[in-house]
Amino acid sequence: MPSHDPMPPPGTSALRYELLAKCSTTRARAATLHLTHGPVPLPIFMPVATQASLKGLTPKQLEETGCRLCLNNTYHLGLKPGQKTLDAIGGAHKLQGWEHNILTDSGGFQMVSLLQLAQVTEEGVRFLSPHDKSPMLLTPEHSISLQNSIGSDIIMQLDDVIATTSPDHARITSATARSIRWLDRCIAAHRNPSTQALFCIIQGGLSLPLRRQCTQEMLARNTPGIAIGGLSGGEAKSSFCAVVSAVTELLPETKPRYVMGVGFPDDLVVSVALGADMFDCVWPTRTARFGNAVTARGTLNLRHQSFAEDFRPIEAGCGCVCCRAPAEGGLGVTRAFVFHTAAKETAGAHLLSVHNVWFLLGLMGRVREAVVRDVFPGFLRGYFAEMYGGDKGRYPEWAVEALRGVGVDLMVDE
Amino acid sequence: MATLNTGQSSEDMFTVVKSTSNTLAPRLGRLTLPGRNAIETPHYIGLTSRGVVPHLSQDNYASLTSIQGVYTPLEDFIERKVPPLYLFKPPDGSSRLRRFTALPDKSLLVLGARRTPPVIAPPATSNTNDSIAVSTLVGFKLLKAEEYAESVEKLGADIVIGLGDIPYGRALGSKRIVKATDRSIEWLQDHVARRKRNAGQAGFEGQGKLFAPLIPLSCAKQQFYIDTLAEELQNDVAGLAIYSSVTLEDLPDEIAHLPRLDLTEVATPRAVLRQIANGVDVITMPFVSVVTDAGIALDFTFPGPKQIPPTPLSLGIDLWTTSHATDLSPLREGCTCYACTDHHRAYLQHLLAAKEMLGWVLLQIHNHHVIDQFFAAIRSSIAAGTFEKDIDTFTRCYEPELPEKTGQGPRVRGYQFRSEGPGEAKKNPTAFNTYDSSGVETPVAPDASEDAGDLEGKGFAEKDG
Repeated sequence: MPSHDPMPPPGTSALRYELLAKCSTTRARAATLHLTHGPVPLPIFMPVATQASLKGLTPKQLEETGCRLCLNNTYHLGLKPGQKTLDAIGGAHKLQGWEHNILTDSGGFQMVSLLQLAQVTEEGVRFLSPHDKSPMLLTPEHSISLQNSIGSDIIMQLDDVIATTSPDHARITSATARSIRWLDRCIAAHRNPSTQALFCIIQGGLSLPLRRQCTQEMLARNTPGIAIGGLSGGEAKSSFCAVVSAVTELLPETKPRYVMGVGFPDDLVVSVALGADMFDCVWPTRTARFGNAVTARGTLNLRHQSFAEDFRPIEAGCGCVCCRAPAEGGLGVTRAFVFHTAAKETAGAHLLSVHNVWFLLGLMGRVREAVVRDVFPGFLRGYFAEMYGGDKGRYPEWAVEALRGVGVDLMVDE
Repeated sequence: MATLNTGQSSEDMFTVVKSTSNTLAPRLGRLTLPGRNAIETPHYIGLTSRGVVPHLSQDNYASLTSIQGVYTPLEDFIERKVPPLYLFKPPDGSSRLRRFTALPDKSLLVLGARRTPPVIAPPATSNTNDSIAVSTLVGFKLLKAEEYAESVEKLGADIVIGLGDIPYGRALGSKRIVKATDRSIEWLQDHVARRKRNAGQAGFEGQGKLFAPLIPLSCAKQQFYIDTLAEELQNDVAGLAIYSSVTLEDLPDEIAHLPRLDLTEVATPRAVLRQIANGVDVITMPFVSVVTDAGIALDFTFPGPKQIPPTPLSLGIDLWTTSHATDLSPLREGCTCYACTDHHRAYLQHLLAAKEMLGWVLLQIHNHHVIDQFFAAIRSSIAAGTFEKDIDTFTRCYEPELPEKTGQGPRVRGYQFRSEGPGEAKKNPTAFNTYDSSGVETPVAPDASEDAGDLEGKGFAEKDG
């Protein structure tokens, strides 16, 4: 039985950010983040093991993809197995047999969904128990208490999440102010600051002044890490980039920056250029269950008839266990075999999840290396050229625009 | 790759190590196929669905189980007009079926026509003089005997089971027995003739050993067929596929040296013991995946605990039981499988309750491990000459049947059962209902069955006012 007990060296905090290199053109950074369950390389993509399991993969398989930091969802674990069980077991690391780091979300995002039957007040979220209709209250203190029981290495404050697409500016302003007040309550409620690093979540919708104001307020609270929340809710990509850029501009160099809910490859590389370090998304594993493979040349829907007789690996040259040939110790899985099993046997989805997670972790690894060698602008050109088959006309406008803002013009060859 | 001579005797492939009698007695043996693990028999092989042991991706199969081989049915690969498998040419020139399904090199690969147990064909689609009914992803169809004989030889399985007129799910009248015997003889003769013609030809490099399927009857009732195997085809048939336990009862000496592969759909460990006691060498066990899907961890040894318990023990632990929710002990005390060494009952309970796929992955790993140990103990017992006594002990120690399923299994797929007609109940509970919101995520709302007290008890939220 592996040991899961968090044992930080005495006198250290739950998080140490070690900056290794900065891109001399863009805002990209390469770093090592030292957490309670070991170091992780930044920038990083974090797969989402919602209910303490990454969609059919064993923790061993997840480890073999190179993952050292994954997500659990606070309120999913709060419902199943519940706080009492988590306390009895000794936290989520012990629950899932995962020796590496875990980040838990705030639960705020789930509140957007709970809002179907709930009302947000200053105290917290009030809702009716669906069974006996008795009124219930869910507060920032609950969120932190649950995350303390989960024992995740990075925990998030509870925030008042409003869809960025909401037209109600007054509501967004009040939600932002409330998120700041709730941060204070979360800091006060946090029992394990020496083993669990609490991140604030900057809100403010798509309003840049509001985002800047929120950033200033939250920086004053001096949390070990900073998240940019409320994005990836269907807003225009250009608005997304504008918010990330406006916020990172104000952030100190010494702390990790986490943009929540981002997972498309284009979004990741652009966000890194805009100065973000950490990302999470269910997309790579969810899309795997629908038979989609993420590759450097785009996403392949392997359930399509055209792959029935395609005997190439999922992605040529990929180093994941599925794509490597048997002679190289891999499985040599073909697209045709994924077509044969996708949505028929869950093992087919497991194979694609392994590939997709490997791809995104590998992509972040290549980004990091490019930043360390200070060749990141060249990396970006190469990345987009491969993704869009060298056709500049197909490059997404928002990405071209955002990268121009940080000194890289994809339309001009070096 | 070495060309296998179809005319070669089976002795170098299968050796009987210990046997007291040719019929109705357990025996120890060794099954050795070129390039594969030598398998000490009696042993089992795993059952695949669409090329994989359910829940086990091939990396987990290779690294977290000790399954020595698999039985794979052709019907899982032939739903398309031109099956893609037939077009596949692995770059390293090795077995098509093995490479297509990413089966590890060391694993034995046995190819037959139908799943075990098969989905039983409707009367309208029954076997004919030149074909059998198979169930594909898109429905039943007839598979021609000559197409089967020609195709399977190109796929590179280690063992190919010839096509037999096996009347799944139906009793045979005397006329039908004659028909089944005649058909099976004719199909096998034709298959052998093709093998001889094709041996050494391009595309047929990986010809496997041919096993003859016996009709699920006593040998006396299929005498002509048995005679054909013992005489005319004695150099061509390397083993027997057994579809009924009665067939073992009067197996004649002339074919007793052949390895016996059991496809009788055994339902319990006791049935496994009975088949082995009657001389089966390699067995397939559909109940293992059934137990896994039921959320049950097998929990037995052979012959059983040192002291015979006052009341028979359960053969498995139902992990749906909520008393396991905070239990950090392994699924089975002392078990060395990955699920038991790296995880615990509490996690399994959580994964099942949360309907996370990993729950069934871990159970499948554990259950196959228990079966590995079971067979190792069976072989030791036969070697020690105590098998009969040990079966008796096992029978007194454990309940006869596996525990009943109490929780929900994973989703059932269309090709795993046959529709019985209109008005049929849903096979899967409804997982999603309409959600009238532009929300991007499934709402995480408490179960409707949980009242405020439950939620407060779990620490999810507190009662308000």
